[in-house]
Amino acid sequence: MLKPAATRAQPTTEAEERAVFRGVALPWAFLLPSLLILAVFVYLPALQTLRLAAYRANVILGTERFVGLANFTELLLSPAYRQVALQTLVFTVLTVSLGLLSALGLAWLASRPIRGANTYRLLLIYPYALSPAIAGTLWLFLFNPEIGVVNQILGSLFDVRPRWLDTPSLAFGLVTLAAIWKGLAYNIVFYLASIQNLPGDVMEAAEIDGASGAQVFWRVAFPLLTPITFFLVFTNIIAALFDSFALTDILTKGGPYTGNAGATTFLVYQLYQDGFVNFKTGAAAAQAALMLALVAFITWMQFRVGERQVHYGA
Amino acid sequence: MVNVKTILLTLALTGTATAQTTVEFWHSFGDAKRTGWIQARADEFNKANPGIKVVPSYKGSYNDSLQATILAARQNKAPALVQIFEVGSQLALDSGAFQPVSGIKAVDFSDYIKPVINYYTIGGKVNSLPFNSSSPVLYFNQELMKKAGLNPKTPPTTYSGLLKACQKIEAAKLGATCFGMSLNGWFVEQWMAQQGASLLNNGNGRQGRATATNLDSAAAKNIFSFFKTLQANKAFTYTGKLEDWDGSDAIFTNQKTVFHITSTADIGNIRDAAKTSGFTVGVGVLPIADGTKRNGVVIGGASLWVSKSVSKAQAEGALDFALYMTNTKNMADWHKLTGYYPVRQSSIELLRKQGWFTQSPLQLVAFNQLTKTVPSPATAGGLNGAAIQTRKIIEEGIQKVLAGQSVDAAMQETKARADAALNEYNANFK
Repeated sequence: MLKPAATRAQPTTEAEERAVFRGVALPWAFLLPSLLILAVFVYLPALQTLRLAAYRANVILGTERFVGLANFTELLLSPAYRQVALQTLVFTVLTVSLGLLSALGLAWLASRPIRGANTYRLLLIYPYALSPAIAGTLWLFLFNPEIGVVNQILGSLFDVRPRWLDTPSLAFGLVTLAAIWKGLAYNIVFYLASIQNLPGDVMEAAEIDGASGAQVFWRVAFPLLTPITFFLVFTNIIAALFDSFALTDILTKGGPYTGNAGATTFLVYQLYQDGFVNFKTGAAAAQAALMLALVAFITWMQFRVGERQVHYGA
Repeated sequence: MVNVKTILLTLALTGTATAQTTVEFWHSFGDAKRTGWIQARADEFNKANPGIKVVPSYKGSYNDSLQATILAARQNKAPALVQIFEVGSQLALDSGAFQPVSGIKAVDFSDYIKPVINYYTIGGKVNSLPFNSSSPVLYFNQELMKKAGLNPKTPPTTYSGLLKACQKIEAAKLGATCFGMSLNGWFVEQWMAQQGASLLNNGNGRQGRATATNLDSAAAKNIFSFFKTLQANKAFTYTGKLEDWDGSDAIFTNQKTVFHITSTADIGNIRDAAKTSGFTVGVGVLPIADGTKRNGVVIGGASLWVSKSVSKAQAEGALDFALYMTNTKNMADWHKLTGYYPVRQSSIELLRKQGWFTQSPLQLVAFNQLTKTVPSPATAGGLNGAAIQTRKIIEEGIQKVLAGQSVDAAMQETKARADAALNEYNANFK
């Protein structure tokens, strides 16, 4: 797990610096319990998945036939999987960028010295306590085209009743919006905390020098918030890639089918469908391997960009 | 003191455990009503048979429980009795993890309703014991029908009858759409059977492994064209999500549609919801394609399978319990509680004697539809190991028609995708 913000390094004493383990056995002994748990629950299943990715397998039938890289070539050549990958990319970019911008804006407003600020903060944070399944069910009720509240209002005001769940563009937009809303609280919590920790003297100095509100925000506060923004960008990317599952499953079941795949079918939902609904274990393992590579790449990017671009302050 | 007690308790428990045969029963009913009913039957059975201990437990959705059973079977820890849904039948059969119930001991299956036992009879063997079965019927809002000048005593029984009623409803400007239902491949399977048409080749997958679907047949075209006409006349609505049973029920019970099709298992719930909403619900036979005789319905629901890897005593215990749970009295009881069909003739007799059909006449339509089913490979239902996937492909095909695609294009694409899924599944056996 990442540290959200850099902690100021404490001056270390000489004794602490020289505290190293004597011998090889002791550090390994300390590591052993963690390594055992990781091996059983992470490394072995991951290796097993990589092995399965080279087989045409069905978990129910227990059949396995070695096919080499065929699962991967089939996936990468399949128009359905390409469409799903593209949809995932668009969905991720939209949820991360719009999600963070709106969270920052709301957190900024909620941290102004105003009456009832605590109430606003509470209301902004509570959706975090909802499970994605409940959030999905709520949205499903709201956007039922015939009896949902949204269409009743739109119908009586403008005489339009959009078909939210089976118009591909609307369904995609709806899932994106729901994902942004669901992630908002998490982002706001971090932004609120960071905004409250902004150095008051710097902000005050800027105001004394005659900076406008917008200037204080964009020229002073925003750069000071880059470490937390950086942290949130990556946790949000991972959330968009993986946590979107429950929301899509309940809201749209990955539909409506358009082109070569469901318009709201994302990589992780496709994997679930193939692996746990249709029991195409080999194909699902290959998808898991591709997603593993994707996460590895994102993590590498995180360290690389983190070292070069982010200003952690002194 | 505590230690002595614990030791005594442990001894007592191990003592009984060795004397008993434990029968694990995994099912997929998560609600208190049905879980409670099953537990109560297990308790009665355990009391009457001290040598056997049936332990029912909820193991998640049908999909999850099937997968859990298979994985447990690989480690020789399979539950003796498992509830498996009808689309999973071929898959369960192919897994080799189960044994036909007719091979465990001699059971008289003559009391079971014919179309129900037919579904689960594969290659001359009764593979599993029918448990919760249902079929689709037409639900209608009697008040709205009257407002549109339609007679609720004679609900439409064919596609054209329904479309004609839709014109009257459209003209009456009720603020409700004519017809709505959950898009589910299950209905397409029913409509094929009603026309006496098999969904799959090789005798609906019962004479040999199905290698292609009959989704290019005239029977299939009737179904797709029906949805095309509904779409063109703006006479159909649904939530937009596939297999959204609850959502489409809610649209009907909120009086936004006049006609609705769903499972007989929902009669109780819909009747109650209609009462709350202030209208009287009527139930009619499933409207079918024009110009065909009514061949009947394919059973939907789930059945009880016995694992292969369990001991003889466990298998017999499992079957005995399954037979007890589905005996005449219990099935009649189960039907009253849930709305699922009582799968035995004698249970129907019992219900008739109790005056159940005069109390709840809605159920009678459903029964007649089932008992008048003509036995054939078409009404026995299609068997296909990729059925979960092909069902969804068919739903997506209908959805495309409702979104405006032409019937021919949608059918062509649906057949190609469903056949590809069949071939991919069959490749597991090469």
